[in-house]
Amino acid sequence: MAAAAAPMTIKMKACCGYGGIKAMEIRWATRKENSNEVSTKLKQRIPIFISTNPSHINPQQLRDLYGSCNHSCHRFPKMDKMGKLVEPVDIKRLTIALSHSDLLVSVFCNKVDVLASDDDDCGNEREPNKGENPPVLGLGDLLQRVVPLPVVSPSTGMLVGFGRAVSDHGLTASIFDVMVIPSLRGMGIGKMIVKRIIRYFEHVHENLAINNGLPNLVRLFFKACGFGDDIMGSTTMMYTRTLSTHIECDQMVKCAGRKLLLVPPLNMDI
Amino acid sequence: MLTLNVVALPSILPIFSAQPSNHQFNYLLANTGRRKLKVTRPRANFWDSIRSGFLKDNSTQVVESPSMLQEEEEPQPEEFVLVEKTEEDGVVEQIIFSSGGDVDIYDLQTLCDKVGWPRRPLSKLATALKNSYMVATLHSIQKSPGSEGNEQKKLIGMARATSDHAFNATIWDVLVDPSYQGQGLGKTLVEKLIRALLQRDIGNITLFADSQVVEFYQNLGFEPDPEGIKGMFWYPKY
Repeated sequence: MAAAAAPMTIKMKACCGYGGIKAMEIRWATRKENSNEVSTKLKQRIPIFISTNPSHINPQQLRDLYGSCNHSCHRFPKMDKMGKLVEPVDIKRLTIALSHSDLLVSVFCNKVDVLASDDDDCGNEREPNKGENPPVLGLGDLLQRVVPLPVVSPSTGMLVGFGRAVSDHGLTASIFDVMVIPSLRGMGIGKMIVKRIIRYFEHVHENLAINNGLPNLVRLFFKACGFGDDIMGSTTMMYTRTLSTHIECDQMVKCAGRKLLLVPPLNMDI
Repeated sequence: MLTLNVVALPSILPIFSAQPSNHQFNYLLANTGRRKLKVTRPRANFWDSIRSGFLKDNSTQVVESPSMLQEEEEPQPEEFVLVEKTEEDGVVEQIIFSSGGDVDIYDLQTLCDKVGWPRRPLSKLATALKNSYMVATLHSIQKSPGSEGNEQKKLIGMARATSDHAFNATIWDVLVDPSYQGQGLGKTLVEKLIRALLQRDIGNITLFADSQVVEFYQNLGFEPDPEGIKGMFWYPKY
């Protein structure tokens, strides 16, 4: 019984490292004009700093970003009646996941460019980054007022977007946890993150089939990034067996978000 | 993460031998006598997992603290005999499960050909295996009778999983030699992977199944398009 053959590849290119792709750069994010946003407070065009350098990521900042985006690492997270996550991301496990991801993309922007559109953002925006001298009137700020240069940096800016990918470096890559804070959505930042991931794999490991590793509610978003259904017509499946669906003796279960997944028993009955 | 050991009845797994027409099957357990148990880093955890399958007391609910495994620890390789049968001519065939990831890439390509998969570059295949979080294999070892002891070792099944070691895992390339299919070997491969992943609290286990094997995976506890959402792919433009 054969299933889930990893997709075909054509050419091999043994290369490590970037070889030409910038590890970090400043870009402009522009809000679409046909947006439904009535508020004129939201800026139309802001400079953002996009980086694939893992050292730019602060785990606490990242955990707060997960919170602001109401995003969980679990496919079936525990949620309250309002659909809000009950517990924050486990930082220790998140750090492990980050260290075993092949690519981490982080997006920063100036705090002044982030406008609170709901309670979550409010909390994060006001909170100063730990261990950082609050920039009162740095040279950058002064320059910004005189000449509107796009000056954004991870140390002074706020983490507003993220994405990561896991790969076997040969046949497949999976994208996880792409997120942008709510007030800055619709500006192409998420698309930039995904395109950056694609470019990395195109360059470093040619002809990888990339999937959005965890099926979730962002089908339209990924479609806009050029993703489609599997050309082999495969069905996406997830392990969801729990105690209630399958009764047996001596069952061990593992907590995964709101699901108690059944661990297959050790017996070797064939 | 909480681990709950829910015990319904006392369990002692039986050793039984059925006797169909020609062969003598011995269903063997992992921890009995002459198993070829190659555990390179012996730890309590392996025996914990054995014990958890053999709990003898009833009516107790044990809530264990979060997984004792150190997070950075790679999956511990295990190897044991799954099935052993003796043919009429005295040839003994053993099917060995291994999670050590020791795969001859040419054997694998032969196996992929047998199941009718399109060819993929060997180097890419090798790299993919090397960078997989877990690679589980099934080998058949046939020993001729007599003191010669000629052994024939053949790769008959494989499955692998990629993972970020914390939350997500994707199972790829599950295959079993057609002449060995229908025996529950594929089921064993996948269940072992799931077990190993869940033991490490990796709860998001995904795979992309060809249409003809969707039912196979449903029987193993997989749900197609959970909550109605599909995985999506990006392919390089040629």
